[in-house]
Amino acid sequence: MSARIFTRTNPSALKQCLTRTSALARSTRAAAPSASLFTFRSPLEAPTGKLYEGHIPISPLQRAILAVGSAFTALANPLRGDMVAALGETTSGIFLNRIRDQMLQDPEGRRILRERPIITSETMQLDTLRQLPDGTFGREYVRFLDDQQVSPDTREPVHFVDSEELAYVMQRYRETHDFYHTLTGLPVTVDGEIALKWFEMAQTGLPMTMLSSFFGPLRLSSEERERLFNVYVPWALENGSTSKLLMNVRWEEWMEKPVEDVQRELGVRPCPQV
Amino acid sequence: MAAIRFQSTEATKAAATTEEYDVVIVGGGIAGSALACALASTKASGTLKVALIEAFDLSNHIKFSPRPDQYSNRVSSLTPKSVAFLKKIGVWSELDQSRVAACEGMQVWDGVSGARITFDAANVDGVQSSFLHQVFSGNIPTPPGVNNNTGQETLDSSNKEGSPLAWMTENLHVQYGLQKQIVGHQARGIKLDVFEKTKVQGITTGQGESAQLPQGDWPVVQLDNGKTLVTRLLVGADGVNSPVRSFAKIESLGWDYSQFGLVATLQIDPSTSTAPGQGKGIAWQRFLPTGPVAMLPLNNGYASLVWSTTPKIAQDLKKLPARDFCALVDAAFSASPAELEYLYKNIGPDGQPLVDFQKEIEWRTSVRDTEASQTMARGSSPQGDDKPPRVVDVQENTRAPFPLRMRNSSSYVEDRVVLVGDAAHTVHPLAGQGLNQGLADVECLARVIETSLLSGSDIGNIHSLTPYSSERFLPNLAMLGTVDKLSKLYNTDFGPVVWARSLGLTAVDKMGPIKNEIMRFAMGLEEPSNRS
Repeated sequence: MSARIFTRTNPSALKQCLTRTSALARSTRAAAPSASLFTFRSPLEAPTGKLYEGHIPISPLQRAILAVGSAFTALANPLRGDMVAALGETTSGIFLNRIRDQMLQDPEGRRILRERPIITSETMQLDTLRQLPDGTFGREYVRFLDDQQVSPDTREPVHFVDSEELAYVMQRYRETHDFYHTLTGLPVTVDGEIALKWFEMAQTGLPMTMLSSFFGPLRLSSEERERLFNVYVPWALENGSTSKLLMNVRWEEWMEKPVEDVQRELGVRPCPQV
Repeated sequence: MAAIRFQSTEATKAAATTEEYDVVIVGGGIAGSALACALASTKASGTLKVALIEAFDLSNHIKFSPRPDQYSNRVSSLTPKSVAFLKKIGVWSELDQSRVAACEGMQVWDGVSGARITFDAANVDGVQSSFLHQVFSGNIPTPPGVNNNTGQETLDSSNKEGSPLAWMTENLHVQYGLQKQIVGHQARGIKLDVFEKTKVQGITTGQGESAQLPQGDWPVVQLDNGKTLVTRLLVGADGVNSPVRSFAKIESLGWDYSQFGLVATLQIDPSTSTAPGQGKGIAWQRFLPTGPVAMLPLNNGYASLVWSTTPKIAQDLKKLPARDFCALVDAAFSASPAELEYLYKNIGPDGQPLVDFQKEIEWRTSVRDTEASQTMARGSSPQGDDKPPRVVDVQENTRAPFPLRMRNSSSYVEDRVVLVGDAAHTVHPLAGQGLNQGLADVECLARVIETSLLSGSDIGNIHSLTPYSSERFLPNLAMLGTVDKLSKLYNTDFGPVVWARSLGLTAVDKMGPIKNEIMRFAMGLEEPSNRS
């Protein structure tokens, strides 16, 4: 399974591939035996129907193939957002549960799960944020978005998580990624992103963060790698494990506070600028 | 005129007299009283002079007349073997059957993974022997002339009719039956003296010149009413901190679980259960990482709760208002451990909930129901797994925590001393076996004493007592060990362990013969031909 099949201009190729294998699965379903001793579910059949907008139910076999394929593609070209997303979704099954359980322990996290706020350029009211004074979290956030020429709407939607609530948790995790940059001060370079993945690993234990953390540095130059492991990683591990769980933060309500206050209240020191 | 002899500390005639007995039973709990009944009801043992000593009021039990809408919180499950024994000693017929609930099925599941196993009494094969039981107790030949047949026949016929897995009834109810029998035996002229409201002040062996007499090595029991009893055989049925055991210098080995068991009497709404027959007669047990929570069926829309959990949570549960407690019990059988953690954390120091329990639980239930309705998991029914009935109310003053521990004595017998029941062994309540093990001990001891008498032996001699030890030690140890391992296996939410135990549980659930074997072992069923 090479990267050629999955090109950004042809996302429907992914869908075609999946429908072909699920058609195969459907034809074998009639002949499948009743639940056997040791399987909780058949590897050839998707366990649920379509649960939410954008949901693509896949069988465990398809999931395994997709995980491996997207891992190699993402390593070859980390700018392939859809592959990074697919890798995250196929491997994070058990750990999304853990993040959701951690959110259930915190009153603010529970509020987020109950109300399910979405972050888009409309809901964030970017124009209003641009009017805020410099140094406030909201102003710095918009400045970061404008500098990188991205908007909250360019995030890949969730496709492969088989639970409505966990799909929301994954979506929220992605949407808040830009806030992490603003909060920590990490740049959007490859090593900055990897450092942020180390930070997230210390916080959440997601396997995708671990994969990026350990394999990502292979693509860096030795100088960048040195800076990563000497400066960024120690900072990331220390701050990631002691700060408040960022998934429980209702970012929308912190926009008007100064950045230093936000950092202090969440227990995060800004990362050393090199 | 039949003399009913209940002697208490109020008796002014009690002087410092020494009385001689054949058997002195210390402890008038269910085990001790059952032994007194068993001895009184057998031909040879009925000629023995027996004393039963109890610190609390025993005659009160006969006045047991509870309201139909109230149940005591100490409820035990009686296996078919125990019931057969109670029938043999005439206690079962004294019980009010409307206060005895049959448990026809059991659903046990893992609180972390949801893996489930279902037991149904209808599937138990009553004819073949329980292999496990044979392994642990071996073939025990009984000498001719000992009347065992009544017991075995009752056992067999009840199985052929389709015996339930167990019967649930209050401990006070069983005590009522036992005390009535005791009074009945005394009226018939059996030499059974009951010393109630009397404590044992000390136990010694004969010393000085009395050591030269034939009863020189007999145990001497001093009561706090001034009386002294000297006995051929001293039976310790005096509970987990047994003074008789200390006297015999028998070590008690084991450990305390860092768990408390909380019992309560619940009022349930049977129409809310999705099990067949509205879950009538079904016992539900869910293993949470903090400990198992079990709901045992009683009659008339009542159930008994046994929730083993951490000491702090048990104390908090006791203090919660009734409405929130009931919501939390419902959640204990359906919500994820993480959701329960949040609720435990939000019980204030005075027991008041710090958040709206009903609202939080309703929200999580609606999320769960939405997900469940959309999942097409193979092998499960369209509505999902069976649900226990909703808890409507909890009976006032029935919430009581008690510490859980496992103990086994290094020996059950010493010269002229024998231990039965909790004095000999204590077990985790998760399998409902504690009382049944005690009754099995008593049944065996009564049989052994009868045998010794008929062969002319000294019933207190340690060689006469060894058959009891051989028959009971290994099965008790096996039960204790199994229950302990189960408790430890389910006390964790560590991923690989959860996966392994869920795989094992689901596999066993599909294997009928193995489930059959487990049920028969727990029910105490044995092959009749063993006993010929």
